[in-house]
Amino acid sequence: MTRSNKESAGGDKLILVGNPNVGKSLLFNALTGAYTTVSNYPGTSVEVSRGFCEIEGNRYEVLDTPGMYSLLPITEEERVARDILLAEEPYAVIHVIDARNLERMLPMTLQLIETGLPVMLVVNIMDEAEALGMSIDIPLLQEKLGIPVIGAATARKRGLKEIRAAIAAFDRQRRAVFGYATDLERDILKVASTLAGEYRIDRRAIALLLLQKDGGVEELVRATEKEAGYAGVEAAVNAVVFERRSDLHLRISLERKRVCKGLLEGVVSQQGREGKRFAERLSDWTMNPWTGFPILLVILYFGLYQFVGGFGAGTVVDLLEGSLFEEHINPWFISVADRLVPWYWLRELLVGEYGVLTLGVRYAVALVLPIVGTFFLVFSVIEDTGYFPRLAMLVDRIFKKLGLSGRAVIPIVLGFGCDTMATMVTRTLETVRERILATILLALAIPCSAQLGVILGLLSGVPGTLVVWSVCIALVFLVIGFLAARLLPGEKPMFYMELPPLRLPQLQNVLVKTLTRMQAYFLEIFPLFVIASVLLWAGKMTGILENLVSAMTPVMHALGLPGEAAAAFIFGFFRRDFGAAGLYDLQTSGMLSAVQLAVAGVTLTLFVPCVAQFLMMKKERGWKASIGIFVFVSVLAFTTGWGLNRFLLFTGILA
Amino acid sequence: MKCGFCGREIPDEPGQEKSCGTCPGGCRKVHCPYCGYANPAVPGFLKRWSKKKDDKREDES
Ligand SMILES: [Zn+2]
Ligand SMILES: [Zn+2]
Repeated sequence: MTRSNKESAGGDKLILVGNPNVGKSLLFNALTGAYTTVSNYPGTSVEVSRGFCEIEGNRYEVLDTPGMYSLLPITEEERVARDILLAEEPYAVIHVIDARNLERMLPMTLQLIETGLPVMLVVNIMDEAEALGMSIDIPLLQEKLGIPVIGAATARKRGLKEIRAAIAAFDRQRRAVFGYATDLERDILKVASTLAGEYRIDRRAIALLLLQKDGGVEELVRATEKEAGYAGVEAAVNAVVFERRSDLHLRISLERKRVCKGLLEGVVSQQGREGKRFAERLSDWTMNPWTGFPILLVILYFGLYQFVGGFGAGTVVDLLEGSLFEEHINPWFISVADRLVPWYWLRELLVGEYGVLTLGVRYAVALVLPIVGTFFLVFSVIEDTGYFPRLAMLVDRIFKKLGLSGRAVIPIVLGFGCDTMATMVTRTLETVRERILATILLALAIPCSAQLGVILGLLSGVPGTLVVWSVCIALVFLVIGFLAARLLPGEKPMFYMELPPLRLPQLQNVLVKTLTRMQAYFLEIFPLFVIASVLLWAGKMTGILENLVSAMTPVMHALGLPGEAAAAFIFGFFRRDFGAAGLYDLQTSGMLSAVQLAVAGVTLTLFVPCVAQFLMMKKERGWKASIGIFVFVSVLAFTTGWGLNRFLLFTGILA
Repeated sequence: MKCGFCGREIPDEPGQEKSCGTCPGGCRKVHCPYCGYANPAVPGFLKRWSKKKDDKREDES
């Protein structure tokens, strides 16, 4: 391409790429000044800014692309950013990265260099990195990478002159090649050698993207090679994937990380501090089984036991449920209904034993909402610190020791948020058996956040029951997981996830997340609780409920529970947390001993998933598998409850 | 918005094709395309409040 014919189209193109929040837009504004336009990228809803600048007498068109994490696009924004790179014939691709997170961002620089595009690197936010005591040897990094590297702090207008100078002196011909492990290189070559057509980016990069099953690149290759040539390419890719039988995507990204580690050696040094920063050390501790598990217990003790159990389920519920509803609101409703409503059935529907107002509204507003509210507050604080992905890594290490598949960690950890959603995520697991195993574990031993909140709130009021419950659930989980893993043959897929930095939670984030969750949760449960109380009322009026309860009474007695507990289990069919709320009523009316409470808590936790989760199981696994899981889970739940009751009575624990 | 699990920047609105199909009356969760985490979709009034602060932070960095 010659310079003159580009000029008619507005000048050579400079394309800014990089993660979100690395100061790309600030650099764009600094380069282009006021002459910018923002428009949708053709055929998409994604906005792209364009502007012009003049450097040493040459005119350039500057494009600011949407944030991207990798050349392998997942979101529409990333797809657009990649399309711009492939379609716009850049004079220079300016990769902007955050100096504080070189290790996380450099792999994309490698990817860009691999494509053969003319890349230069801007290491931005240098000022804050320096404030953290980091020093970055920019010339050394430039030497190692073989492309221009400029240190900058665009917010402080630092480095802008150097960036302009680097653009003016940019040598498009220079480029480095980074080698991967020999077996991987062989695979890449195998695929690259089947490519015959002309491409805008390097064949090696195309081969890598094909091996990672990039749909967009597959289309591109299919169009370029035509059907005849594409068959050969596809065969080569499939042969490699088949031969490897492993996750090439993961392998390639680990390989890139290895190369980056080497590149950064001697480039970054931490001054004034011995070894790592405290946050990094803490991050390592959370993932090491020896320290990570105690840390988890501390979080659970203070976060859940003390705050949710003590404060939420104790103080707040006592106030709302005990004082407000029991003493004022409900008596008032009942007296109004007695005066104004002559019909028994309607009085029952509104203010009776299962009345919409006296049961549904009370459960939702006075019992469940304060408990899950405090729970969501703790959950949001933990979420905002970035602890959850570390928990996933910790669980992964323990899983591996048990011979479980590492990748199942993600849906399992997500299950503590909502099992329904986690059941859907099992889709990402590779084999059907793995998916079924994860689905069973989710249905059985992972309580969703709402149920966990209510159960913990309930049990923490009675000393000892919470310990028994935790040990029991963990045991069931481990035994079933262990047995299931024995049934799954061989391979241990590797699990790896990129960790965002650990940080102090921010008050505003926490508040927004907590309020959002509470609103969403309330909208979800309120109608369900009302419907459930109507159904229960209908059951009572027709006598069906009585029959159901008496049919379940022998089962309750076998578990050592009073017959009335059957109602809580029937509630549990509707919603996990509704069942727990039913248990709460039994306990506050003094009908349960400590042993009975522990047994009921364990059985109810293991017992059926809520309707939504069951429907999701059916959607993902089909009728046969989901009914099978349902039966298995129910039988196991009641057997465990029965066994636990015997054990507790025999040993006298909790007596 | 930022995904609460993996910390990556994700679209603000629940994607229609990726809706989980369990929320009555429309999806109120934003499923992260990178890790699958279901982030609660922030209601309008809270979003405006958090946007303002975010913009300020973006200017500083
Ligand atoms: Zn995510
Ligand atoms: Zn949904």
